[in-house]
This record gives sequence, C-alpha cells and structure tokens, in this order.
Amino acid sequence: MQCKEVEAVLEQEGFSPLPAAARAHVVSCLACKSLVADLGSIVAAARELPAELEPPARVWVSLRAQLESEGIIKLPAVAERGRASWWQGFADLFQSRALATATVGLLIVAGAILQMKLPATHSNPSPNPFAETARTLAEQENGLANVQLASNSVVDTSLRQNLTAVDDFIADCERRVQAEPQDELTREYLTGAYRQKAVLLSAMMERGGSGN
Amino acid sequence: MNVQGKKHIILTVLGTGIMLWLSAPARASNERIERHFAVQGRPVVVIQNMGDGRIEVKSSKNAEVVVSGTRASDKISIDMEQAGDRIDVNTTVIDASAQLSERQANLQLTVPEETELQLKTQTGLIYVEQVTGDMTLESIAGDIHLKEVSGYIIVTTTGGSLVCTQCAGKLKFESVSGSAQILQPGLTNVNLHTTTGNILFDGDFVRTGLYSMKSGKGLVEVRFSGNDSFDLNAQTATGTVDNQAAAFLKPDSHGVKHLASKFTKGLFGTVGQGLAKVELSSYSGTIRILKRD
Repeated sequence: MQCKEVEAVLEQEGFSPLPAAARAHVVSCLACKSLVADLGSIVAAARELPAELEPPARVWVSLRAQLESEGIIKLPAVAERGRASWWQGFADLFQSRALATATVGLLIVAGAILQMKLPATHSNPSPNPFAETARTLAEQENGLANVQLASNSVVDTSLRQNLTAVDDFIADCERRVQAEPQDELTREYLTGAYRQKAVLLSAMMERGGSGN
Repeated sequence: MNVQGKKHIILTVLGTGIMLWLSAPARASNERIERHFAVQGRPVVVIQNMGDGRIEVKSSKNAEVVVSGTRASDKISIDMEQAGDRIDVNTTVIDASAQLSERQANLQLTVPEETELQLKTQTGLIYVEQVTGDMTLESIAGDIHLKEVSGYIIVTTTGGSLVCTQCAGKLKFESVSGSAQILQPGLTNVNLHTTTGNILFDGDFVRTGLYSMKSGKGLVEVRFSGNDSFDLNAQTATGTVDNQAAAFLKPDSHGVKHLASKFTKGLFGTVGQGLAKVELSSYSGTIRILKRD
C-alpha cells in the first residue's frame, strides 16, 4: 500500500480498525507513522473536551437572524397557527416577493388579455378585468394581519403609510374605470398601483418574518 | 448661602456628573472600522444595509475601494468581503432586541471613478457623487441624492425621494410616494414613475432623447430652455395641464396627426425641430410646462 492509499483509508474509514495492509505500511513509513500519531493526538484531545459546549446567546441570535433574513426559517405567526386555513398555506407560499409579484403580474396580464378580447363597442359596462387581481391582493392584505408589523420604526411606518396611499389611489382609479371602462390612461395607472401594492405587501411580509 | 447649602449644591452637581459619566459609555459606543480593497478593473460594489444609516459613495483616482463604517452598537454587524473586483458589504442586526438607536450603521466608501454600484438600504440617505457606471439603488424610506453620476441608473424607493443633479446616461425611477427632482441633467433616456410624489425636470432635453414622466396624484413640472428641441405629449385623466409656455409650442411638425382620447385632457406640441420625445402624464395631478428664463 502507498501513502496516498493510507490517507484515503483514513479519510474514508477513520482509525479503527486500519486494514492489515495499511497497518503494515504505517509501520515501515515514517511519514504515515507521524500522520497517524498526529491524528491520534487530535482525537485524544477532542475526547477531553466537554460533551456539549453552550454557545453564547448572541451566536444563536445571529444565526436565527441570518436564517430568517435568508428566508430559511420564519417567525411563528402571532395568531393561532392551529386554525390555519387553506388560505394560510397559500399566503405562506405567497411570502416570496418574487412569487407574489410574478403572480400579480400574471393576473394583470390575464386581465389585460380579457379586456382586449372584449368588443370595442361593448354597450354594457365591462366587467372589471382586474377583479381577480384586486381580490387576490385584498386577501393577501387580510392575511398580512397574521404577520402584522408591530414596530413603529421609520421603515414599518413608511410601509404602512404607503400601503394606505396606494389603497386610496387604487380605490380612486377603480371608481374611474368602473365609470369609464375604456379610459386607457387610468387603467395604466391602476395596473401600476396593483403592481406597487404587491411589492409593498411582500416587503411587509418579509419584514414581519425577519424582525429586522 | 450657608455652608450646608453650598455642600448640598456641590453634592448635587457631583452626583449628576457621576450619573452622566456612568451612562456615557453605553451611548457613545460608536465603533469605526476601515478596510482597503485593491481592485484591478471596474469594480462592482454591493451594499446591503439592513440597519438604519447612511451610505455615502465618492470617487478617487486610486485603484482601490475604501470602506469606512461606524456602528452605533455591537447589536449590528458590518461584514465585508472581496471576491476579485467585487466588494460585498453587509450590515446586519444581530440582536433582534436592539433599539432603533442601536441599529444604526453608516458607511462611507471611496471607489474608483468607474465603478458599478448596487446599494440597498432601509431609511438612511444614499449619496453618490462623481461615479460612472451602472447603478441600482434601492431604499424604503431613505432619500437618494446623486451628483455628477452617469451610467444606467435604476432607483427604486417606497417613500424616499430622489435628487439627481448633473446626471448623465439613462435614469429609471419608481416610487410610491417619493418625489424626483432632475436638475441640470445630461440624460438621454428618462423614465420616472411615482404614485403620489412630485416630479420636477429642470434642464435640457438631449436630441434623440426619450423622456417619460408619470405621477398619479403629484405635480409633474418640466422647465425647458429655448434651445431645446422636442415633441411633447402631456395627458391627464382627471387633473389639469398648466401650459405656461404656449408661445413656444407649435403644432406637431412631423405630420403625425395625434388624436386625443375623449377620456383625457392634454396637449401635443413641438418645440424647435422636435428631435427628442417627451411624454408627461398624470392621473389626477397637475402637469405644468414652463420655459426657463
């Protein structure tokens, strides 16, 4: 057996028991003998250590903050999880900003296609092509109550104020679209406002979960 | 005053002084760190400030990125790393119980003149001066001030406002309630959208440039010069168009017949030869068109 093969055996199988061929090589090879002796010292020293070391609290806090910021874990919602509905599962899925924005984007595109398919001379008021988008966002906003931002920090206050501003603007645009379904400029603004609302809700959910 | 009274005053003053002295270390725990990163080409600097605080970026002729940071407490960390010409700086709140005043981390950077930036912050000001390169700047409530920067600049805020002075290249701004002021620009492509904020464009329109400025509820104001050359399309759904430069606006000279929507109010016109294209719109805000003196 060669030195490299002994190293491979040590890597894969550890110390005990070394195969006979390896033991024979170690006896005759000074380098391998020294390597095995060093490893033996390390293992012995490791066995002297206490079975469990209690890491400082700040390590756990830091680790938790990091895991939360990466979305690997989330803080448990304040409300009763036990009675989580099917919607809660959907809301959890929606917590990814990219997914939320993409979903709303798809709904907006679907609404626009639906609107384009409507005849231009439609005499009755058109059904709101954004109804599905509006409903999804409203449910999303209601679901946000479970991860409500408790902080009065500048950031959380700003997010809440801007959500209110966007909601007001959406309501204004929706009234106008209801009255003038063919008003393309208003619809363009309404689409933009829905998109901004989706981004805001996602940001609020992320903050609600991260504690930052 | 008797001796007893004097003693009482001295003791009170001393006691107050000792109390202040004891409380001082907790408040004045600002820690400063500085690191130098040698770079070869055009570096990419990525900053994510999850605490509160200011990010300031200026340029120098040196082929290095210098990052100086101060943190208000040990409840927030400032981590930096280099991978080739990419420098990453992250500030993270490591103690969730940290008070607002303990979450502050300010960063000052000196970068080569040609540097790409990707900066993300929560509340503090982002200030960038004399940097050339593409930049993506994101903030929730913090303002963003740019001076003499050029490149493809993308700014996204929730409530923060943008002030862009002597900027060149392309600019995209998106905000819910933030305002945008574009002053003395050399921009060839501008796309500004805010839902409730105001927009001010005070400067020249570059020939062949494309300019789109939209505000849902805010004021959109454009101040152009007599030497400018652009086609103008200003439309509002329920707001008003305040044209204070009617004498300089001619009917479109390119032979294109513009049909105004019956649902909007607005105007079409041309200044000079109409070489640039300017589109202004609002939902309910005022659009104001002015010529500078």
